[in-house]
Amino acid sequence: MIQLGTSARGALSRERDVREAYAAHAGELYGFAVRSLGDSGLAEEAVQETFVRAWRAGDRFDPKIGSLRTWLFAILRNVVIDLGRARSIRPALADGGPEPSVEPLEEALLAWQVEEAMRRIGTEHRRVLVETYYRGRPYAEVAEELGVPEGTVKSRVYYGLRALRVALEEMGYED
Amino acid sequence: MKTEGCRKWRELLGAYALGHLQGAERLGLEAHLEGCDECRAELATLTPVAELLPHADPARFESAPQPPPELGQRIAAVIEAEKRRDRQRRQRRRFGFALGGAAAAIAAAVLLLFVLQGDGEDPTRHVKFTSLPDDVSIYATLEPHAYGTEIHMYVKGVASGTLCRVYLRGPGGTDYSAGTFRYRWGDDSNAILSSALDLSRTRAIVVHAGKRTFVAPVDAPVAGASDGNEEEAT
Repeated sequence: MIQLGTSARGALSRERDVREAYAAHAGELYGFAVRSLGDSGLAEEAVQETFVRAWRAGDRFDPKIGSLRTWLFAILRNVVIDLGRARSIRPALADGGPEPSVEPLEEALLAWQVEEAMRRIGTEHRRVLVETYYRGRPYAEVAEELGVPEGTVKSRVYYGLRALRVALEEMGYED
Repeated sequence: MKTEGCRKWRELLGAYALGHLQGAERLGLEAHLEGCDECRAELATLTPVAELLPHADPARFESAPQPPPELGQRIAAVIEAEKRRDRQRRQRRRFGFALGGAAAAIAAAVLLLFVLQGDGEDPTRHVKFTSLPDDVSIYATLEPHAYGTEIHMYVKGVASGTLCRVYLRGPGGTDYSAGTFRYRWGDDSNAILSSALDLSRTRAIVVHAGKRTFVAPVDAPVAGASDGNEEEAT
């Protein structure tokens, strides 16, 4: 799990800490916000609100309970729910344009975690998982295309799944 | 029981967990699993991962969306503005000018606006959008900072929930994002935004409110700032 090098209580009470937290986690938070809200403008709004709320409540952060990353994701989750709720109760606007579609939040979080884990594993491992699982191509065909024995494709699928499991664990995913 | 043949079988576990193994290989692996605790335990760690794969969209594997570079500065500006408001609030209380209620707070903000306008040294620019429907009013106050420009937007009369996107326009006509906000009836109509563009280089402020776009120049002095702004066709 990604940990910020902060051990004291009140890790976000200073602006410098917010900057450090932003540098460490904004990319992931933004990625999840885009995935769950389906709109980059709203995702920026959500990430901004997350850090502002975290700064306001900085004294309440306790690293003994969980990592800063987990805490920020919990805040973002609430922000996304608030934004989604505001969007769903708002009447159709005369000039607001069509609303982007939104996946249920838990499904979006799960999808984002798997996609982020896929981005973290090696290219060769990701490639064989995409070709054999997502594209449903025969192992022999993939092996020929890659110029390796079929057994190598199978072993890459195995090591790919193992790497994926490690990446998910690093991101705090629990079965 | 771990044997020399274990590795050979173990490297088939991925394909097996995905349901891709068939024929003799599948039967052979299943026979091996019957007698190998370690390989069974390994399979048990891979199966939940394999079950997660359908949730992901492979089109999103290659690159993750990145936040715009100015978002961090914008967050710092919002926090800085909030700290400043807290300080002002404490000062008002200290001098016995604490005002209760939202209406009083807005009145104080308007009062502050007039005080600032009267100060010839003040670098803050005040912009009033004029080409608006009768019931709509938009004002902006722009303050220079080291990181760029802080923008206070005051909006009244647009449909509640309208998404407003704000940009500052530079000398070459390039628009710099200052962020978004939603106007809501009953809520504070003051939104605080920021842009990386320096105030000294800002020529206009652009507000996209829903599908409508309003532009007002900001390079004129305060007295003339309300002249010449317009609604752009979108």
